[in-house]
Amino acid sequence: MTTALFSNRAVIAFIGVIIVFLLGTILIPGFGSVFSVRAMLILASLLAIAALGQTLVMILGGIDLSIPFIIGFANVVFASLYGSGMPALPAFLIVIACAAAIGALSGALSAGLSIHPLIVTLGVGTVVQAAVQLWTRGLPTGSAPPFINDFVSLGGTIGPLPFPWLIPFTLALTLGCVFVLHRTVYGRRLYALGSNLKAAELALVRPVAMWTTTFALSAVFAALAGILLVGFTGSSSATVGTPYLFQTVSAVVIGGTALIGGRGGFVGTVAGAIVLVELRTLLIGLGLSEALVQSALGLLILLLVAAYGRDQHIRNLI
Amino acid sequence: MSAEPMNFHKPRFWARSETRLAAILFVVLVLLNAALNPVRFSPVNWPTVLGLAAPMILATMATTLPFLAGRGSIDVSVGPLMGLINVILVKVVIGDLGISSPWIIVPAALMLGLASGALNGFLAAILRIQPIVATLATYLIYSGLALSILPSPSGTVPAWLSALAGPLSFIPVGIVIIAWLFFKRLPFYELLMAVGSDDRAAFTAGVNVPVIRFFAYVFSGLVAGVAALALTALIGSGDPNIGPGYTLIAIAAAALGGVSLAGGVGGLAAAFIGAADIFLLQNVLTSFNVSTFMLQAAYGVVLVLAVCLNSEKLKARFQTKRASR
Repeated sequence: MTTALFSNRAVIAFIGVIIVFLLGTILIPGFGSVFSVRAMLILASLLAIAALGQTLVMILGGIDLSIPFIIGFANVVFASLYGSGMPALPAFLIVIACAAAIGALSGALSAGLSIHPLIVTLGVGTVVQAAVQLWTRGLPTGSAPPFINDFVSLGGTIGPLPFPWLIPFTLALTLGCVFVLHRTVYGRRLYALGSNLKAAELALVRPVAMWTTTFALSAVFAALAGILLVGFTGSSSATVGTPYLFQTVSAVVIGGTALIGGRGGFVGTVAGAIVLVELRTLLIGLGLSEALVQSALGLLILLLVAAYGRDQHIRNLI
Repeated sequence: MSAEPMNFHKPRFWARSETRLAAILFVVLVLLNAALNPVRFSPVNWPTVLGLAAPMILATMATTLPFLAGRGSIDVSVGPLMGLINVILVKVVIGDLGISSPWIIVPAALMLGLASGALNGFLAAILRIQPIVATLATYLIYSGLALSILPSPSGTVPAWLSALAGPLSFIPVGIVIIAWLFFKRLPFYELLMAVGSDDRAAFTAGVNVPVIRFFAYVFSGLVAGVAALALTALIGSGDPNIGPGYTLIAIAAAALGGVSLAGGVGGLAAAFIGAADIFLLQNVLTSFNVSTFMLQAAYGVVLVLAVCLNSEKLKARFQTKRASR
């Protein structure tokens, strides 16, 4: 039982969350204060939502590099639509629908023509970002509706509870995702296709349909993160998603989802996102410059993945 | 009943379909550029043009080598490595130590590249961390280090180094091409392609797969060192922000040239043509005075279209259609 618990990579990631938190409270005064924990949880939630799609895509054995571009797209388009007088709900639906269509295109192209998703998502993402920049002429305008500001606000509360609605929302999203991955046909097919493409095809899983749906979902959650970011930063920018390119991959990998597919889940990704945000806060609190924090994070990713994310030797793959 | 050894000829360069599309595009773009911009593309200015394109061409070549090794082998740290070497050369070697001799600077750049290649190879091939994660981590480490060594662009380079982007620009690219032609005569090249095409078959045939992959990264680092020299020559100073941008465009250029990300297909010639295509495309669009955003969009569209048209599945579908007629 204990071995089963410790071989579960999501559990290891959560142990990491606790260790880094304890380290932080010892080393930095105020690390464990309500304000700082709330700020970290909000940042981690935004990252986790953006990384949800990346998790699904990686279980499938792919990778989605278009997430930062979709985040920027949703960020700018939602803000401009709302800023030009459209009610929030239609603006939201338009952005989500467009994102789903873009993601579906990437997924269908890479599965249908068997092109590496890295190239397809990179190319499609570049076009999307350029189109947004052309549309806004590089100067995005607009703002977020007040309820989204409250939803992600650093000072937000729900009645007596000291956190904004984003936190319970992410929690619900996590539970929903666990349910979908383990209790629905879609989830089972996702793992089947990620583990063994040929076997899954023989079991009548349609790869192209699955890839199309999954990449569409990935884009939808990236767009959701982009819309929430308008509320968080207060203004819009087409490049707001740039740091999320590598952060989503890191969060998913630290959370124990294997890039070769067929293994992992969203719970680990949430833990990975929290660890990343905690480490960042800790290192900046210790007085490291932004540049050195980046280097240190790279080093930590190496250590973590070397500890539990190694591939099999070729002799074991025959 | 004696089994005649099969006479297997490698297909000639122009008979290989994966690069054909990029090669056609290359010819079209060269003609287009020559027509639109006769002064800039006149033979007198060829060295300058090559100097402008050299960092991207060399970065693409460095990125291509791990791709050839297959099973997810990829080096995303090429761009930041170029930036880091650039910063170390300009700030530490030329600035702080006051050395300007090519006999120190060139080996320093190559050794740094080699060391990074060995590190990436160790992490990805020997320690078996998934290559994209391993090189992503070194990506973060290098770009962070570059920014802490030299927080903002500054510094100068000696005249001989600047000349490598001007009259002598054929040297960096030329040396790598010559080295590649020699490299293709070595058994190592065949082993690399065998590992890339089917690593399990290669392993059962007695190939030491991890070692071959390790050296793919080492050579990639070496070429990245040359790319860093070309970059330093071109910008003539140290800049910590310019390097990381080369990673994604180099991956795109390699794919455009017909290098398979799954391994075993392509080479440095394909990388050269892919990178040249993107460079020439940028030039054509710039001569129409379009905005940088338009340029970005065009490059994305060309990339997606090219890889789609290059897809084996699409070709197979066309062939069955033609056959059924």
